[in-house]
Amino acid sequence: MSNMTDHSAESPALEAWRMFRRNIPALFGVAILALIIVLTLYGQLFYDGDAFDVVWAPHEGPGVTPEFPLGTDYLGRDIVAGLLTGGGPTLAVGGAAALITMIIGISMGALAGYYGGWVDNLLMRVTEFFQVLPALLFAMVLVTLFSPSLWTIAIAIGVVSWPQTARLTRAEFLKIKELEYVTAARAIGARNSRIIWKVILPNAMPPLIVSATLTIGVAILFEAGLSFLGLGDPNVMSWGLMIGANREYILDAWWPVTFPGLAIFFTVFAVSLIGDGLNDAFNPKLRER
Amino acid sequence: MTALLDIKDLRVTFNTRYGEVTALDSVALHVNAGETLGIVGESGCGKSITALAAMGLIPMPPGRIAGGSIQLEGEELTTASEARLRKLRGREIAMIFQEPMTSLNPVFTVGQQIAEAIRLHQNVSATQAFRDAVALLDRVGIPSAAERARDYPHQLSGGMRQRVMIAMAVSCRPKVLIADEPTTALDVTVQAQIFDLLNEIQRDFGVAIILITHDMGAVSEMADRVAVMYAGRVVEQSTADNVLDMPQHPYARGLIDCIPALGKGETELKEIPGVVPPLHLLGAGCAFADRCTLKNARCETEKPLLLNHGHHLAACHAVEEGRR
Repeated sequence: MSNMTDHSAESPALEAWRMFRRNIPALFGVAILALIIVLTLYGQLFYDGDAFDVVWAPHEGPGVTPEFPLGTDYLGRDIVAGLLTGGGPTLAVGGAAALITMIIGISMGALAGYYGGWVDNLLMRVTEFFQVLPALLFAMVLVTLFSPSLWTIAIAIGVVSWPQTARLTRAEFLKIKELEYVTAARAIGARNSRIIWKVILPNAMPPLIVSATLTIGVAILFEAGLSFLGLGDPNVMSWGLMIGANREYILDAWWPVTFPGLAIFFTVFAVSLIGDGLNDAFNPKLRER
Repeated sequence: MTALLDIKDLRVTFNTRYGEVTALDSVALHVNAGETLGIVGESGCGKSITALAAMGLIPMPPGRIAGGSIQLEGEELTTASEARLRKLRGREIAMIFQEPMTSLNPVFTVGQQIAEAIRLHQNVSATQAFRDAVALLDRVGIPSAAERARDYPHQLSGGMRQRVMIAMAVSCRPKVLIADEPTTALDVTVQAQIFDLLNEIQRDFGVAIILITHDMGAVSEMADRVAVMYAGRVVEQSTADNVLDMPQHPYARGLIDCIPALGKGETELKEIPGVVPPLHLLGAGCAFADRCTLKNARCETEKPLLLNHGHHLAACHAVEEGRR
């Protein structure tokens, strides 16, 4: 009797992980991101130096002085210290912004898709209103209105980027709410809130997880962009702030801008690889049985 | 005695692009405690809408209950609040669906799903609910139930999944169980097992079953009484034996003639010519008139009423007038 069922198969999440594990580029992305996170979390334990301290002559090139392997910026601040200290806030803002995006986007999309009718109309018009605003300009306005801090930046990025998630969630809900197991859930007496959050949402998660991952990458770029424009928190070192502060001297010294730029590039690249890997892992068409 | 579930004169309409279409008209059905009512008819005749109406699950809009009443133990359901209906669903009246492949949530184990159904209506701990779920799985004939409870739906066969659905449906000991074509998607051998199980469940739990099907074999095996539906109306109703042995309405007769008998050497399969008319094109007369060999002028202009003809309720002018 027991050979009727396949016991090698596990939960859908484990199955996706199995697919993901075989995806070399995605694992590469995980490795890069893990390295970056470890360096930003623990790097300062092994590398002394405050990112804001002026420690040496300005514009010392990389590799010239062994104490400052990547050189110094226009004020004579250590770039390695800046990279190690600045990574934390950059990643934190990216993660927090992605979280805010998901919370607003999933709530709006879920309610619109599930209830339909006037709820859908109202919420989707609101979504479109936010969607047609130029995102970067809107974020700049928000950050300028409320004094720049890591939190306001994360919230501003979240507020401008949720419409896409809302539309994706709504589409998933429209599709899934017609399926028979939703009717079956209603037939055993489940209430709407339960059907939305515990029946439909778990089934809508795969594309939303992929979208969340990619949103982290976009949010990091956004944070860098805002800092570059001088709208970052000036009291917190971040990669964007490093690029923004040094951009005027790029023709005299390429390194103070290039290294934080590379750090952002590799982070977003790693996140995108992971997002693609998750996308493939959740795609049933690519999954062999 | 009053019936457990009593549907009277039910009229359900849907707003479509053809305007308001009547999906159910003057439907009268009842089921008593512990008995099985079979509802038969072709696709689109209103069987499933009747079931959804009894569950209070007709999507509104576009659907609307335009008239009539549905009473469960004397309690009116058509005017009941959503909160009240939610309490009744699962606990008093439960449903199993046609497609066991798609009616279970793919991201939770079957044990979790049954346990959740139990916890919706009973105040028990999660561990106790899971233990009850395992016991139910065992009850519906799933071998090594404790292990299977930790399986996901896609790991089970169609027959197993339908057993899981039955376990979930009876988890709160409902008084009425609606089975909407429960075996259509299953192999013939598995079909028989599921019917046996439903019979057993009925005996043990004393539940009344409404079996919706287009399989006359299933009806003869399961049902005490049978209602034949056509184009949103009940056209014939009687005991299962009466309907199967001496159907009155020409449509019921046609349905029964369509069953090929094994070993009779029939060379040609019988059929009822034509198709069920689209609901928005129903005229003033009998909906079956276009396909009926017994029709006359009255059939084209006047809707027949469901009248008592001895042992049968039938809605047909020809039966009324004794034409054969």
